[in-house]
Amino acid sequence: MDTIVAESTAPVSVSAIGIVRISGENALEIASRIFSTAELENFINAEPRRMYLGTVTASNLKDKAFCMYCKAPKSYTGEDIVEFHCHGGRVIIRSIIRACIELGARPALPGEFTKRAFINGKLTLDAAEGIADLISARSEAEALQAYRLMSGEIAKKIYENADRLNMALANLEAGLDYPEEILEDTKAAALDIINKVLEELKQVYDSSKKGSLVREGVTVAIAGLPNAGKSSLLNALLKDDRAIVTDIPGTTRDTLYETLEWEGVRINLVDTAGIRESDDPIEKIGVTRAKTAIEGADLVVILKDGSAPETEEERNLEKLYRGKKVIIAQSKSDREKHPRNADIKISSKTGHNIEGLIKLILDKTGAAELSGSAILTRERHIFAVKEAIDALSSAKENFDIAPPDCTAVDIRHACRALAAITGTDVSEDVYDKIFSEFCVGK
Amino acid sequence: MKAYDAIVVGGGHAGVEAAHALAAMGHNTLMISLTLEAIAFLACNPNIGGTGKGHLVKEVDALGGLMGILADKATIQARMLNLGNGPAVHSLRAQVDKALYHRLAKQALESTPNLTVLEGEVTEILCEGGEITGVKTALGETYLAKAVVLCTGVYLDSRIVIGEYSRDSGPSGFQASFRLSESLEKLGIPLMRFKTGTPPRLLASSIDYSKMAPQYGDKGIPTFSFMSDNFNRNDFLCYLTYTNKTTHDIILSNLHRAPIFNGFIEGVGPRYCPSIEAKVVRFKDKDRHQVFIEPEGTDTHEVYAQGLSTSLPYDIQDKMVASVAGLEDAKIMRYGYAIEYDCVDPTALYPTLAIKTVKGLFSAGQANGSSGYEEAAAQGIMAGINAALYLQGREGFVLRRDQAYIGVLIDDLVTKGVDEPYRMMTSRAEYRLHLRQDNADIRLTETGRSLGLVKEDRYKRYLEHKKEIERIEGLLSVSFSPASVKDLFEAKGETPPKSGISAKDFLKRTRLTADDLMAASPDFAGCDLRALKYVETELKYEGYLDKQRREIREEARLEELVIPDGFDYDKVEGLLSEAREKLKKIRPLTVGQASRIYGVTPADITVLIICLKKKSK
Repeated sequence: MDTIVAESTAPVSVSAIGIVRISGENALEIASRIFSTAELENFINAEPRRMYLGTVTASNLKDKAFCMYCKAPKSYTGEDIVEFHCHGGRVIIRSIIRACIELGARPALPGEFTKRAFINGKLTLDAAEGIADLISARSEAEALQAYRLMSGEIAKKIYENADRLNMALANLEAGLDYPEEILEDTKAAALDIINKVLEELKQVYDSSKKGSLVREGVTVAIAGLPNAGKSSLLNALLKDDRAIVTDIPGTTRDTLYETLEWEGVRINLVDTAGIRESDDPIEKIGVTRAKTAIEGADLVVILKDGSAPETEEERNLEKLYRGKKVIIAQSKSDREKHPRNADIKISSKTGHNIEGLIKLILDKTGAAELSGSAILTRERHIFAVKEAIDALSSAKENFDIAPPDCTAVDIRHACRALAAITGTDVSEDVYDKIFSEFCVGK
Repeated sequence: MKAYDAIVVGGGHAGVEAAHALAAMGHNTLMISLTLEAIAFLACNPNIGGTGKGHLVKEVDALGGLMGILADKATIQARMLNLGNGPAVHSLRAQVDKALYHRLAKQALESTPNLTVLEGEVTEILCEGGEITGVKTALGETYLAKAVVLCTGVYLDSRIVIGEYSRDSGPSGFQASFRLSESLEKLGIPLMRFKTGTPPRLLASSIDYSKMAPQYGDKGIPTFSFMSDNFNRNDFLCYLTYTNKTTHDIILSNLHRAPIFNGFIEGVGPRYCPSIEAKVVRFKDKDRHQVFIEPEGTDTHEVYAQGLSTSLPYDIQDKMVASVAGLEDAKIMRYGYAIEYDCVDPTALYPTLAIKTVKGLFSAGQANGSSGYEEAAAQGIMAGINAALYLQGREGFVLRRDQAYIGVLIDDLVTKGVDEPYRMMTSRAEYRLHLRQDNADIRLTETGRSLGLVKEDRYKRYLEHKKEIERIEGLLSVSFSPASVKDLFEAKGETPPKSGISAKDFLKRTRLTADDLMAASPDFAGCDLRALKYVETELKYEGYLDKQRREIREEARLEELVIPDGFDYDKVEGLLSEAREKLKKIRPLTVGQASRIYGVTPADITVLIICLKKKSK
């Protein structure tokens, strides 16, 4: 079976830990290309069913992660499986999945791990019932999402190129099935189309590479000592009165999630309970959740109260977030008495520099360049485009030496990949084109 | 009342193969044909094979069928189409002597043990408690059998149309069957109305061939049948001429008299086999269309005007033909006509070609909405095999899409249904590179043998062929010194090797062939060319073949998941409603087949698999 990859924890905006699972014959090989651990020279030699601590490198991101290899058939799916247990940030999880796809894995379809587990006789009956419901519920949601995607600039672009590509295939196939009747150079016509489509798809792919940021949004945790103004900042950012703001330290006991959109990019904001050692059991829960939420974020804004003097506790804050992307923001700029060495100075009360902070967040997370562009946002669609690009590249590379029936294998592959987005029946469309474009048949 | 094991209704290309297969598999079989003169009658073009179709003939042959052997014996000219393209699409097409082909087929049936051939009109299919009991003929006689194969071709309630004239008739004046449709409808079998057509036939001696381009056969090309020894007769010519602006003007100014445009014909015609009036209307910018003049046989001057298929009135046909270069004084012997007929909606069939609602009833050929002799023969042999297996209480026989064009053909018909007559095309086979003419025997002969259809002589020859392939594969490590092949490589435009090159790498080179290898090395000089070419193809296209192998493996796994008979889709929770309806209608035999139904999503398939696994525990 080919190798599939997906996040196996629920894809919510923030969780402390995210698990990415790869299943299939190349799982270990793919994992060994992106995961390294001090315990092994190469992860390919990993001992099955053992957790290794190491570093996962995906595009430009590095993250500490645990990694476990389960050798077939002793695994959930009955195939070789590798699982990454990493921080819960959207960006890191998406990056790992993306890296696996680059290395040849395919995004799993809804319920596909389960399906494989079933085919290989690995799942109990009890587990089956619930999962079947879940799969159908998810697929309906997916269908809806896919439908929504089918409007706008990007959809048009994919459709156009899929259509052109079917035309290229129609050219080749007409030549093969009607060798006596078609005298025009259908091969040359096909090559022209391949070149054009390849170029356009590459553009789509490159600009979509970071596209999942648009869909998932970036997750930003707002951290700081109690009373540093975290909730006020949140309110200012949302221009809404949703968070409770008081002067009594420790009143924000739970983490709070809010989402704002900035030129098409989602920013998931996490307010955190004031991190402070406390004996109050309720507050303790809040503190734990806050730490968890922060671990799962793509970026942490550390707020420092400019109206109060710096403390030892505040200095220690930064150490807590070592390894994370951090913005140091000095709050209460309207009442500044004790200036700090900060990336930005803001005031939630006057609104000073709030927009500047948002821009800084987008810059630092790499989301800035994405706002407003026509890109693909769904993992499966991006994979489909990549598949099409690979197939077309192969077609182009071998075009002169391969007979057209071989080239057609690659082009058909590309057509089918794009059809996974457009939902077009490739065969039917190609026949329509053959019979409408060429006068064939005796 | 006479009793048989099985009855085949119809003696066309499907009926011939079905009856032969049933008899060869040991069943006492009766074939009833409306007229024995119509046995294996080539009602349309006088040729067999072509792209995709040639592959079907090879496969029918590999399974032990008749078409390849008959076509080889009746060949009067042969061409290998697509030689300029890859080996997967090389397609043999033979002009055959029409009358001879019919006589050979009739003789073959007459001398097949266990087979009785009878002229008669079947008017009723008899059935009790949902099971077949036999058939009744127009004479009033009842014939009993537990299995019946319908191979009714274009003969059900058929009507021919020439302009304003129409007549209830089968093709070429053969009588049609007028009561069977009603009997089928009573059994609840859904029927469709399709249409096809033929061109006028002309008198050869009235044609000026000097104005046309002669079309020669190819020399030294293989035969259809694995059992044919020599190359075929190849001395008859075809000719190519063209329509012109005058022809098109004649047609365009008489469209109001064209039955396909004025509503006189309602049946759906095939896009790939358009009449000349359809071509002229649809492709207005084309200033000419090809017309191939093809001989109908060795003992007649009648020729077939391929490309002029039409149902225009006779007077327009006269003018139209006379406008074509070389046909100025041509005498029309038979006018072109369109034919409308009833056929079975193939989604009413299982992939075994068994009709879902009546046990023991099978259907094959043009009666299933396909077109073409080869498509008919392919279904015929499969329906015959499955009827035999049914009689034996054995499991049905289905070829997968990666195993044969036959598998693609039948799967397309029964899983997707048709809205026009279905023609085989190589592009319909997604695993085309694996389904070649040169490996049809390797793919299917063992299967034919285990079914009891491949007899001793063929099997022995097959084993020798396989042994020769293995011997050649053992020789592939033979090495050539750079000096010994330098000249050859340069002459062929290949970069000469710097160090020794093995025979394997030699054959992998794009511009070097099996023939070159035989000439270059005494080790290979004595090889069987057919075996060596097979090895060459497998090597040359290894990369592309491998690309598809993984996909094939994965699909094969889904094919192994059998959906039990009478499976209740209403009890499967989580299926989307569209998928549920489709699954209930098609009733796929395997999860693989289910996955190819329009409107069934991968998620539905997962839900289905889960449900099946639950059931099986």
